[in-house]
Amino acid sequence: MKRVAIVGAGQSKYGEFPEKGIKELFFDAYKDMSSSVDKNFDPRQIESAYVGNLGSGGFQLGNMSALVAEFVGLPYIHTVRVENACASGGYALVAAVMDVLSGAHKMVLAGGVEKMTDVSGMKQKYWLGVSGDTEYERLAGTTFAGLYALIAHRHMHEFGTKREHLSSVAVKNHKNGAQNPKAQFQREITLEQAMKAPVVAYPLNLFDCCSTTDGASSLLVCDAEVAKEYTDTPVYVSGFGTSSDYLAIHDRLNTVTLEGTKRASQSAYKMAGLTAKDIQLAEVHDCFTIAELLAYEDLGFCEKGKAGQFIEEGHTKIDGDKPVNVSGGLKSKGHPIGSTGTGQAYEMFNQLRGTAQKPTRQVKGVERGLVHNVGGSGGTVSVSILVR
Amino acid sequence: MAHVSVPMYWRTIPQRYKMVGQKCKKCGAVNFPPKGVCKHCNASSDFEELQLSGNGKVHTFVLIGAGGAPPEFAEQMKAGGSYPVAIVELAEGPKVIGQMTDVNPKDVKFGMSVKAELKKIYTEEGVIRYGFKFAPDAEGK
Repeated sequence: MKRVAIVGAGQSKYGEFPEKGIKELFFDAYKDMSSSVDKNFDPRQIESAYVGNLGSGGFQLGNMSALVAEFVGLPYIHTVRVENACASGGYALVAAVMDVLSGAHKMVLAGGVEKMTDVSGMKQKYWLGVSGDTEYERLAGTTFAGLYALIAHRHMHEFGTKREHLSSVAVKNHKNGAQNPKAQFQREITLEQAMKAPVVAYPLNLFDCCSTTDGASSLLVCDAEVAKEYTDTPVYVSGFGTSSDYLAIHDRLNTVTLEGTKRASQSAYKMAGLTAKDIQLAEVHDCFTIAELLAYEDLGFCEKGKAGQFIEEGHTKIDGDKPVNVSGGLKSKGHPIGSTGTGQAYEMFNQLRGTAQKPTRQVKGVERGLVHNVGGSGGTVSVSILVR
Repeated sequence: MAHVSVPMYWRTIPQRYKMVGQKCKKCGAVNFPPKGVCKHCNASSDFEELQLSGNGKVHTFVLIGAGGAPPEFAEQMKAGGSYPVAIVELAEGPKVIGQMTDVNPKDVKFGMSVKAELKKIYTEEGVIRYGFKFAPDAEGK
């Protein structure tokens, strides 16, 4: 399918910005997106906007999409806040694609924004816990680290996955993030540091977990028929898929598989007429290191249970045959919840067009990429395939 | 700022105190916690109540450290330190999450035989919340 194109993409820097709220962060991403459009960009052509957001710490839950749109000069359009926890951005992109495919609108903004550092640590844990199964998982005394740790421990038990494999994900993604000028943590870490960090929820430690982040991202999505009016090198959304799952891990038939990832990716591959083998580059949802290993398996990059071996063999390094998270991933680039999905697409847009900020982080000759965004511990998942 | 408010908690008293599940009249499978439609056949909401035995085996487990506890469990963490949480596969089939109790965290094992016990979970909004935790049974000790 080459009926929907992305002709512009922008991202604010990810990090901690005391001077900026959701409006200012969103404006940063919007300005960056506007300047990335090669020609003829006119904001008046934007007819609708889908904005991924979990809740900005509880400050502007109602009508936030209209607020950020009017702040950047887009009043009087169709706006919707898209909320699917950490997958909000990925679903905002899918909503924009469906909007264009429906024929309702030709030029659509898909973006996301989150302000996470304004709130106290205690309140953050409160907010971050609202996307799992509250009645049972929360009442057992777990946060998301505990839930992903339950999956990680079972994965280690069933398949012999090692602690080193988990830490290798963190080391790889920090190495990539160190090269990304927009990443929250632009520094490398050693395997020893990653292995010896304080325990959060055994078997996961501090370096297995992503941080809290402020940030925003924005994409300009349009009908492929008009894409060439804006650029000679559009990126096409050739397939997408989404799937929900049981929220509570204990309700799932299989503890070590994110069924949502399997189903969403299979739909996306089918629509794009591709298989996992055809994907040359992927941005996957590594909110915890185990989540990246699960993604290798559930996206079909390797067999179930073999993710440990897959990272050990170096396939997913930036110079491997299937680079994953060259942006630094959620782990090093940062995870401003509502922005994460469209932020992944921003990275892929640039990688596909050869415009990654530094030559050291540009993967050469990429024609087919995949972006994978997970809500909560897998309750919602979106996958999109972007091609040149 | 309660996560599980008193009214929300009250609606699940039969599950918290007695582990009351549902047996599907169509496919015979057991749901716990309860669903609107049976999660095994997705075709029936005709259930009979079934009180579960509380017996089960540890399917997976973790040890929640200081940074991994929700704020409402901070008091427990301060008093008792890290605590184990498990997903237990119950004898009747369903799996459910719960804290482990009356066990040294380092003795928890995959497949360990456990039994549910009614315990204090925490106090929030001035109300003590009781619910099940899992302890090693005679076989698990």
